[in-house]
Amino acid sequence: MTGKQRRYKLVTTFWQVVLIATLLALWEYASDRWVPALFVSKPSVIGATIWKWLGDGTYANNLWVTIEATLMGFVSGAVAGMLAGYATGAWRRLGDILAPLITAFYTLPRLALAPLFLLWFGIDIEFRVVFAATIVFFLVYYNTFFGVRDVSAELIAAVRIMGANRFQLAWRVILPAALVWVAAGLKISVPYALVGVVVAEMLVSNSGLGFLLASNASQFSAAGTFAAIAGLLVIALVNDWLLTLLTRRALRWKTLGLGGQ
Amino acid sequence: MGENLLELAGVTFGFEEDAPPIVEHFDLSVQRGGFVALLGPSGCGKSTLLNMAAGLLSPWEGEVRYGGAKLAGLNRQVGYMTQGDTLLPWTTVARNIMLPLELRGTPKAERGPKLEQALALVNLGEARDKYPSELSGGMKRRALLARSLIYDPPMLLMDEPFGALDAQLREVMHKELLATVGRLGTSVLFVTHDISESILLADRILVLGGRPLRCLEEITPPWSKPRDLDAVRGSAAYLALEIRLRGLLREANDLTLAQSPKSPGKAA
Repeated sequence: MTGKQRRYKLVTTFWQVVLIATLLALWEYASDRWVPALFVSKPSVIGATIWKWLGDGTYANNLWVTIEATLMGFVSGAVAGMLAGYATGAWRRLGDILAPLITAFYTLPRLALAPLFLLWFGIDIEFRVVFAATIVFFLVYYNTFFGVRDVSAELIAAVRIMGANRFQLAWRVILPAALVWVAAGLKISVPYALVGVVVAEMLVSNSGLGFLLASNASQFSAAGTFAAIAGLLVIALVNDWLLTLLTRRALRWKTLGLGGQ
Repeated sequence: MGENLLELAGVTFGFEEDAPPIVEHFDLSVQRGGFVALLGPSGCGKSTLLNMAAGLLSPWEGEVRYGGAKLAGLNRQVGYMTQGDTLLPWTTVARNIMLPLELRGTPKAERGPKLEQALALVNLGEARDKYPSELSGGMKRRALLARSLIYDPPMLLMDEPFGALDAQLREVMHKELLATVGRLGTSVLFVTHDISESILLADRILVLGGRPLRCLEEITPPWSKPRDLDAVRGSAAYLALEIRLRGLLREANDLTLAQSPKSPGKAA
């Protein structure tokens, strides 16, 4: 990074901090003056709640429950989505047979399945995991499917003549070629996994950030509600940062040689 | 010049079962060390012939013989190079060129020397650690050529391999291709719709057209094997041949369009 670029970044960060500080100050000032504190609380009170929750383990317990469910939902949905996407993409007949079924489930509002899942899995973590996984599954499925179908017939023909067997073709050529799409699918589906888990927790549960959010809101505790949202915000940001890091590493070859055609 | 390396004997093929075939009872042969150009309008079915020789398509009737034996399944004793960029973008030039050796399970100890040979053959030594996205169009073509030759196939199947290059670069690649296959003694079956390309490179030109596909004329350019392309291009014979082929190609084009049921049909 040149000095000029570093300076540009520094100035940008400075204005970001100023903007957020101003918004918080405005919020603090407006609360109870322009808007009832019952609805919007105050940053200072929210801060106090956050501090309290940090100390008494409220965050630690509920955050962990949510993260665990999100991870499990994401991984199981993504693995199933990749396998199904690869199978139906590479094996045309299977894809054509399953297409109407998959489209039907994809277009069905996932929330409609919640009562059924609840019946099957109870209010424990299984329900949240399955609920999140069904959302992740389709995002990853379609990206993998189109990624695999997108690999050019010319490339496949060339590699087969070069000597590739079915397994080598899949592992050495089709999967890496589809990886750009798969990575995009994985990246967009992590936030959705979190959404799935939080929605499930808000519907019915006794732990997790979604539960914290819903129970505080139902007790008209605006400070508690905002503090729960703050927890979610942190998970979301960390998520995004990790994913950007991972995908950038995996797809490094794509950004090389910007002069190429 | 020796026996036939590749023979298509009475092959018939179409893409739709109920439509008339694109190719019907067609014969084609390439001698060992020969360079045969299939010249025809796009969509006439010349690529279909090439893909039958590669074993990617199997004929409804007739048979493909390669090296004296009937071909069943893929033909892995040929190099195959098409117009598209089929280098793997996520790995380096050297790894790309060595890919056939890896896929074929060539012992590791043999891969290094073969790679050096192939890189030297196409003058890509400098670019060995670059990624395909860092290469120019001509360098990509060289890498593809090196990749299709690294396992010493006796024959190259080429489907408009330089179609996407500009005229100047194409001239350079023509010289390099001739020098390379001349040195290695590789036979070539070369699909093109470019008249001058066929005159410069081939020792037999088959002008193809019509539906079902037939050979309108076979032309043997009068130039000997190690040829000076610049001298050829400046000669009166070249000009005469070009005019004659232009007429033939126009005829082939009209035939293909007139005999196609609806659209010109898909050439794979």
